[in-house]
Amino acid sequence: MSTLEILTLLIIGVVILIWRITWLASRVHRATMRTERTWSALDAALVGRAQRAAELVTLPGIDPATALLVVDAAAAALEPDLCQGERERAESDLSHVLETVDPMLPAGPGQLASERARASICRRLHNDAVATALFLRRRYTVRILRLAGRTAEPRPFEMADGSICTLTAGPPDSPPSSLAYVYLAGDAAEPRAPAVGEARQPS
Amino acid sequence: MTDPRRSLRVGIVCPYSFDVPGGVQNHVLGLARYLRQAGHRPYVLAPGELGPSPTALDLEDFATVGAAIPVPYNGSVARVNFGPLSAARVRRWLRNGKFDLIHIHEPITPSVSLLALWAAEQPVVATFHTATPRSRSMQLASGVLRAAIEKIDAGIAVSESARNVVVQHLGRDAVVIPNGIQFDAFADRRRVHAEFAEACPKLIFLGRLDEPRKGLDVLLAAAPLIMKARPHLEVIVAGQGKRLLPPWCRGLGTISEETKIALLGSADVFVAPQLARESFGIVLLEAMASGVQIVASNLPSFVDLLGAPQDEQRLGEVFTVGDHRALAQAVLKVLDHPDSMRALRAQHAARNYDWSSVGTTVLAVYRAALSAPPARRTGLGMA
Repeated sequence: MSTLEILTLLIIGVVILIWRITWLASRVHRATMRTERTWSALDAALVGRAQRAAELVTLPGIDPATALLVVDAAAAALEPDLCQGERERAESDLSHVLETVDPMLPAGPGQLASERARASICRRLHNDAVATALFLRRRYTVRILRLAGRTAEPRPFEMADGSICTLTAGPPDSPPSSLAYVYLAGDAAEPRAPAVGEARQPS
Repeated sequence: MTDPRRSLRVGIVCPYSFDVPGGVQNHVLGLARYLRQAGHRPYVLAPGELGPSPTALDLEDFATVGAAIPVPYNGSVARVNFGPLSAARVRRWLRNGKFDLIHIHEPITPSVSLLALWAAEQPVVATFHTATPRSRSMQLASGVLRAAIEKIDAGIAVSESARNVVVQHLGRDAVVIPNGIQFDAFADRRRVHAEFAEACPKLIFLGRLDEPRKGLDVLLAAAPLIMKARPHLEVIVAGQGKRLLPPWCRGLGTISEETKIALLGSADVFVAPQLARESFGIVLLEAMASGVQIVASNLPSFVDLLGAPQDEQRLGEVFTVGDHRALAQAVLKVLDHPDSMRALRAQHAARNYDWSSVGTTVLAVYRAALSAPPARRTGLGMA
C-alpha cells in the first residue's frame, strides 16, 4: 500500500468517526430537549390539576371538612419554589387526597378527572423521556467527549398518581366519562432504557 | 402548552396495506374519522394502491406509497413497503404535508412506519398494537432501531401487555389507551340484515380461518357436542383464509364491515375461542357493543374486557383456553339461559371504548407531545 492509499483510508476513517460523533451528539441534544418539553407539559398539567382541585370548594353541597382537606393539599402543591423532592411529596399527597375524597364528592367534576388523567399521561411521558436521555448520557463516548455539554442531568419525577383507573360504568344515560380509563399501573414496569432487544425479567 | 382548540394537521402512518382488511387499518380509519369530527385535519399514509372506502375518508387525504410487496413477517404474510423508492416517497409526503404532528402505528414494522419514523422531523406519537416480542430481530438491528425509537416523543400502547413489550424490549414507556370502536354502528340492532334474519339460533365466529391461534379448531371440535343438544343451531364463521369446513358450518369468507355489523346484530351467541396473542380483542369488544351473548376463552385481554372475576358479574361466559368441552358447556349454558341483562351490561361497558372517549385521550397525548419548550429553566425536574 502506498502512502497515498493509507492517507486516504485514514481520512475516510476520520470523517466517519466525526460523522458518528456528530450524530450521537444530535441524539443527545434531541433527547435533552425533549425532557425540557415534557417537563414543561408535566409542570403545566400538575398546576392545572391543583387549580381544578382548589376550585372544588366552590362546588355546591361540599362539606367544609372535605373542602379544607382538598384545598390544603392543593395549596401545598401550588406553593412556589419547592425543591423537586418537596414537590413530589406535595403532589403525591394531593393524589392521595383526591383519590380518597373522590367517591364522597357531590357531583362528578369532569374537569378535575381529565386534569388528573392529563397529569398522569404527562408524567409517564416525562419519565420516559428522562430514561432515554439518561441512557444516552451515560454512554462512554458521550461522557468522555462531554457531548451533553453543560446541560443539567434530567431527573424523573416520582409521585403517586392514583391507582389503576379502570373503566367505570355509570348510569346508562350518562355520557362516557372521557379519560377515565387511562391505566396507571404504578411503577410496576418502569423502564430503565436497556439496549434495544435486551430482554429483562419482568419485575 | 398549545392551544387545545387549535386545529391540528396530523399525519397518520399505517404500516399495512388497505388492500386487505385488518385490525390496525380499521383503527387508523376510526382515528382519522374521530379527528375529522373533532375539527382536526388527518392525513393517512399507507402501503398499497387502494384507498379505504370513500365513505370512510376523503381520498384526497389519503396517500399510498405504491404497490405493497407481500413478505413473510411475524409469522404471517404482511403486505408492506420498503426500499429507497418508498423511503423517498415517505419523505416527500412528510415534507409536503406540513404536519403539526406525525402519528405512527406499529413503528417497528419493516414498512412505511419505520421509514416515516426515520425521516420525521415533527413531533412523533407512536402507537404499539402487538403484544408479541420479537427480541431476536430487535437485538440484531439494535443500532439502527435504537436511534429511531429515540425519536418517538410519546408512546401509546393498546393494552398493558402491549406496553410490557415496549418497556422490556424497547426500553421506552407508553401510555395505555385502548382501541376505539364505532359504538353506535354496532349498538343499533334494528339494522338486521335480511340474509341473517332466520328463526334458528345462530352461533358466530369472526377471525382468520387459516391461523391456528384464532382457535377455530376448538370451536369446530365443540360444535358437534353443542348440536347434539341443539340440532337446529346454525354455526356461521366469517374471516379470511382458505379452509375446508364441515357441511353443518356456514362459511362466509371475508366480509365487509356492514355485513359484520349485521351478522353480530342477528347472532345469538358470539364465540371467541382464540388461543393466544390477542393483545386487545377488538372483535370481542365489537360483539359486546352489539349486545350479543358472549362466550370467550380466558385470555388475559379477554378477561380484562369482560371484567369482574366472579362469574355472575362477568359480562360473558369464559372457558379455559383450548378446552372444547368447556366451550360446548358454556355455549349450552348461554343458549339455555339467555341473560339479556348481562348482554345489556356488556353493551354498556363497551360504550366506554367509543371513539368519542378514546379519541379524547389520544388528543391529550397529542397535546402533551406538542408542548412548547419552557421559556426559562425552572430547575424542577432538571435537578
